[in-house]
Amino acid sequence: MDHLSTALNHAQSLGAEYADIRIQKTTRETIFLMDLSLKNTSMNIEHGYGIRVMKNGAWGFAHSNVFAADEVKKTVEKAVKVAELSARIKKGKGLVLAHERGYIDSYSTKIQIDPFKVPLSEKVDLMLEVNKTLLNYAKIKRAFFMLDIYNDDKYFASTLGSVIHSNTYYINPMITATAVNDKDSQSRSFDEGGYGAGWEHVLKMNLVQKAVQIAEEAIMKLEADEPGEIRRRDLILDPNHLGLTMHESVGHPTELDRVLKWEADYAGVSFATPEKLKKYRYGSEIVNFVGDNTLSFGLATAGYDDDGVPGQKWYIIKDGILNEYGTTRDTAPFIGENMSRGCSRATYYYDFPINRIPNLYLEPGKKPLSPQELIADTEDGIYIEGRGSFSIDQHRVNFQFGGDMFWEIKNGKKVRPLKDVLYKSSNPEFWNSCDAICDDRYWKDFGVTNCGKGQPPQTARMTHGAATARFKKIRVGGSK
Amino acid sequence: MMNKQFEKAAKFIEKNCTADDFSLYLYKSDETATRYAQNMITQNMTGVKYGVRLNVAYGAKTGTSRINSLDETELKRMIETAQNIAKLNKPDPEFVPSSSKAKIPKTENMSENTVRFSMDGMVDIIKKTVDNAEKKKAFVSGIVTKTVSETYLKTKKGFEGSDSSTSFENSMTMADNKTREAKVERSVKDVKDYSIKKELDQLNSRFDALTEPKKIEAGQYNVILRPQAVINFFSFLLYFMDRKNADYGVTAFHDSIGKNMFGKNFSLISNLDEKDLTAASFSGDGIAARNVDWIKNGVVKDLFTSRSYAAKIKAQPNFIPNVIIRGGNATEQEMMKKVKNGLIINNFWYIRTVSMRKNEVTGLTRDGIYYFENGKIKHSVNNLRFNEVLHNAAKNILLLGKEDNIAAGTKVPTMLIKDFTFADTTSF
Repeated sequence: MDHLSTALNHAQSLGAEYADIRIQKTTRETIFLMDLSLKNTSMNIEHGYGIRVMKNGAWGFAHSNVFAADEVKKTVEKAVKVAELSARIKKGKGLVLAHERGYIDSYSTKIQIDPFKVPLSEKVDLMLEVNKTLLNYAKIKRAFFMLDIYNDDKYFASTLGSVIHSNTYYINPMITATAVNDKDSQSRSFDEGGYGAGWEHVLKMNLVQKAVQIAEEAIMKLEADEPGEIRRRDLILDPNHLGLTMHESVGHPTELDRVLKWEADYAGVSFATPEKLKKYRYGSEIVNFVGDNTLSFGLATAGYDDDGVPGQKWYIIKDGILNEYGTTRDTAPFIGENMSRGCSRATYYYDFPINRIPNLYLEPGKKPLSPQELIADTEDGIYIEGRGSFSIDQHRVNFQFGGDMFWEIKNGKKVRPLKDVLYKSSNPEFWNSCDAICDDRYWKDFGVTNCGKGQPPQTARMTHGAATARFKKIRVGGSK
Repeated sequence: MMNKQFEKAAKFIEKNCTADDFSLYLYKSDETATRYAQNMITQNMTGVKYGVRLNVAYGAKTGTSRINSLDETELKRMIETAQNIAKLNKPDPEFVPSSSKAKIPKTENMSENTVRFSMDGMVDIIKKTVDNAEKKKAFVSGIVTKTVSETYLKTKKGFEGSDSSTSFENSMTMADNKTREAKVERSVKDVKDYSIKKELDQLNSRFDALTEPKKIEAGQYNVILRPQAVINFFSFLLYFMDRKNADYGVTAFHDSIGKNMFGKNFSLISNLDEKDLTAASFSGDGIAARNVDWIKNGVVKDLFTSRSYAAKIKAQPNFIPNVIIRGGNATEQEMMKKVKNGLIINNFWYIRTVSMRKNEVTGLTRDGIYYFENGKIKHSVNNLRFNEVLHNAAKNILLLGKEDNIAAGTKVPTMLIKDFTFADTTSF
């Protein structure tokens, strides 16, 4: 705690208009089983602090892993020097921070069983049983199981008076079976993308049963037909698949830093520009997207963001209309907002916090509707489960997505599996074609732990959620 | 000369590690990165990162621990953690002992000019970049990065290697408020080899050639892929050419060694003798670098082979110390004259696998796409999505330009490729 006050006092004595320090210890246990070979069983720690100062309307940031008062002061001095240099190239008076106050608070992910304390043998035995189950099928030639267990223990303090402790966890088992014959190879995965919970979450999953399902479906895909020429058909997308679709086509375009073109050189910009706020029809009237960094078990739920802004819940798309962005303290003032929505996050202690997608979900439909009823109501369509090949342009308009499992629907029935299905669509066509969303009984959340963005690149995590939904007359077929 | 901190840490670990076998990897990276966007600096960061990774084994039972500190209390805890994991672990049926002593090639990856280059110098470069954009009534965004890295690997079986490297990189995208968007990026070992004037000239040339894009439909087109597009497209080979996946029938490289899969105009190699290119002298798991012809005149010569799989099939393990796609002598002008019409592609974006077995990937054009006809650029066109098979594109190479060192360890040419498959058009 001494380092927090040392840093902030020193920054202020050097003329910083604002300063914060983030002491962060990230602990990650990774077990990687390829077939029956334990390729990596590791415990990894990144521990240090990043100090951010604003001086003369510009940011400076420096980091260190040496916890000593002198080193903390030197790191502050570097950050201040960097800010002074940055201020050489600014617009007008430079960056302004949205209003915020100080908080003294703490947050912790609610876990029942600490995953780091579960005996290694219990984890490895489960993983071996899963991969043996997969490899018992003669056509399954490769079995992949990665168990990722993650903890961020973070102290944040700022010159606004905040002292915030957060201790967050996630756990993510990822399994892939690859089936091979003499003409083709096809994979099927079980990957829910990570969950803000402890080992109890894995115990609920029945992974051996999931292994049987993905092995059989990988083999099924091997023998399945391709979908043929691209033509317009109805798409029914499961919540896991929709997680990635909304991430790419709604989450990223509504990050304010992209809107402001701050990511123009790499991650890209956004078509959803400020003049469209409150007017632009992003989706049909049943499409409501919520940013929610208070979501239970959400991967972006940490109490506060790395600007010290509390987690919030707000509509990003309301009744199909672009409503608001995900913002940070340094981006919000550019569109006249005087408060941030709390979307500033850094990956490790040595990373500069950037504007990130919050936990983002599609609200369930208001009328009772099950996936079975939705399929029964569809004459000519394809049902897609899970995530596959995905690619979107740098303005976040035009995209092509695949999936992990595909079923042809004819006259209200799933008639046969398909493989190598891709659909092509764009904003605003796609979300405006959404004509049915199943009700809240079928709403499910899925995580993303590898959202790449920034220069130097960072990976962030967040949760998405949806109930199965239908999209009318989308171009779908094979790759050509 | 070996970093003294590394030497001390290595001695401590050797003394305290009681496992049957160990492999110790240390790195230090001193990095300064300044980001700019919309003609102002938006982020600016500096600091030194350390990494210590210890793999240990008791028989075939393995464990790994990684920390970011050289402090001896932390190192001791790391040793205990790795050893405890290994003791509690199940044996690995594909276990191979750590690498033994090997002759490590000398590589020249370090520049004192880059080490000495100051943050003020980086901001000066950004100032020139912003001034240039303002003259053009445009906006520039990008990042200037300077990195000085050191690595060290030591194993119980006698492998010992160290390497130092520097890199300086500037990536800049210039755009206006309409549709024009152009980018250049380059990384060099020695900052004195970086000319901001030359880079800005190239950026301006690409930007000025952009016009209001005319609508173009999906289909097969002759394309001139500039070097950044070439590496982004063909770099997927580095992911697909795994020997085990090939042998198991997962990828298109099944039973491919010795076969002409790519056409005579395509060669992908790693070469430590290219003096203008940096190269890793050893891999993180203790494979000494060597020259490898991966694909020579279209024929698959070798596949990436891990140490454990190499032991199983009694082959020599390898890795990718640097990447060279062989070029030729054709100019862009000659390429434009070789075919009646086509597209010039500056870059690709968001490339993802469509099918590993088919060697097929998808992605979009980015940073400027121009239509040419009868040897001249006519106008810009909208961006397009491609779905293309890597070896089919290589077979369709008609001409190769000079190799361009687009990154410190990467050298690729401009290529003229016929009948490149664009599966969709885009709205801008």
